Amino acid sequence: MMEKALEVKTLNFYYAGKTHALKNINFPVYKNSVTALIGPSGCGKTTLLRCFNRMHDLYPGNRYEGEIIFNGINILSDRIDLIDLRSRIGMVFQKPTPFPMTVFDNIAYGLRLKGIKKRSELSERVEEALKQAALWDEVKDKLHASAYELSGGQQQRLCIARALAVKPEVLLFDEPTSALDPISTGKIEELVIALKKDITIIIVTHNMQQAARVSDWTGFMMLGELIEFGRTDRIFTNPSEKLTEEYITGRFG
Amino acid sequence: MNYQKVRILKSRLAFIVSTLTALFGIFWLVFIIGDVLIHGIGALNINLFIKDPTPAGVEGGGLRNAFVGHLLITFFATLMGVPIGVLGGTFLAEYARDRRIARFISILSDIMVSVPGLVVGIFVYAILVKPLGHFSGWAGSVALAIIMIPVVLRTTENMLSLVPWTIREAAFALGAPYYKVIIQVVYRGAATGILTGILLSIARVTGEAAPLLFTAFNNSFFSINMNEPMASLTVTIFQYAMGPYDSWHAQAWAGALMITVFILFITLIGRLIIKWRYKR
Repeated sequence: MMEKALEVKTLNFYYAGKTHALKNINFPVYKNSVTALIGPSGCGKTTLLRCFNRMHDLYPGNRYEGEIIFNGINILSDRIDLIDLRSRIGMVFQKPTPFPMTVFDNIAYGLRLKGIKKRSELSERVEEALKQAALWDEVKDKLHASAYELSGGQQQRLCIARALAVKPEVLLFDEPTSALDPISTGKIEELVIALKKDITIIIVTHNMQQAARVSDWTGFMMLGELIEFGRTDRIFTNPSEKLTEEYITGRFG
Repeated sequence: MNYQKVRILKSRLAFIVSTLTALFGIFWLVFIIGDVLIHGIGALNINLFIKDPTPAGVEGGGLRNAFVGHLLITFFATLMGVPIGVLGGTFLAEYARDRRIARFISILSDIMVSVPGLVVGIFVYAILVKPLGHFSGWAGSVALAIIMIPVVLRTTENMLSLVPWTIREAAFALGAPYYKVIIQVVYRGAATGILTGILLSIARVTGEAAPLLFTAFNNSFFSINMNEPMASLTVTIFQYAMGPYDSWHAQAWAGALMITVFILFITLIGRLIIKWRYKR
């Protein structure tokens, strides 16, 4: 029996203004695996992803119903410390989001937030994170250059390294390669697969091939509902729902 | 064929008209700056900076009191106006983003930007000078600060709005509280823009005479006491230019030149910062 990192239970989500964006979602996220969320534009996959680190709380009026269980606790509860939650469930965005500071300071940002001040410890953790994100060899000579000097693909791996530096248990990827060229995309995909030995990954992608390449589990969503969830190889070869089959074979979406 | 000729004719006409209007504008600009240069440089001498004014009608003396007073008033105005402007702009762009109150305050400060300095001067006269019973350097600084605030506030708001929202989300996603996101990430991204806005607002108030006339008034003697009436270059220029003595006129020209140079200097720094920022 595989251990669950997260479990979504009858999750409903409403955007301010009453849009019912997620409808009765249930599925498990297994530890040290990659779970892909696929579906046509506007199906709610990014909305779902942003529930795991409570990103929706930044905007007034949004409302969750149901539960997401993380280490035995419902993270949708009001009593959750969001700052703590977000340091344990990290996120990488669609477009690279380097901060206007040096490469080193970018990676050290989350560490400093956690109160780590010692220069030697910071250097160690920065190097470790950059190596984990397969970026160390490319940037080790420009740690003190602006992060904006890196290429788009490097910037995205920098953001992954920044998220990894605080040693999260779960990492959320929101279409992390949609703004990148094929070579950078390939590197990020390899990285996602390599990372799952340490952490649990949930990735939203509009690229079905990518989901098939990197994920162990796949959830297919449409109009705010999770139509089907299962092993990636089964979803892509033998889906049980007609809608899933139609989407995967490219009949819509 | 005919249509093409008409089109070319129209194009030439547009070219000629726009060139002429540009030349018209540049002519006056060059005229004014040239006049200030010619008269000002002739009147420049070291006494201007190290001596105080002589009694009316007596040759010699300088404007040391006005230079020092002007710098003091502007310095304290910056000290008051910049923090309020920057923090107010932060409120509008961050905490009140997309709220009606932000829109309302933005429009109000746009109106404030165009309020004549004279009106601000009279306002400060009514709330500070009249109740306290005397003109003072502080009142002058307050008047200039009031003029600076909307300029700094709007630039800060605009510059902060230019920082992509996703950068903030990325910082939130690392577990940063909002105030740290603003101070450590957003300010950094907008720093050069905000700094440029501050410099331009200083340049803007440096040339103001009207708000000082009713607040700091003037002082023929050297004073660094902000509680007393204080001389400023602009008010002194106004007084000297209106006065009957040729030596006063010469000193007014020299003062005008120095203010122009100071504003040019600040504007250049602002432009250099922008250039440096966008090169990287």
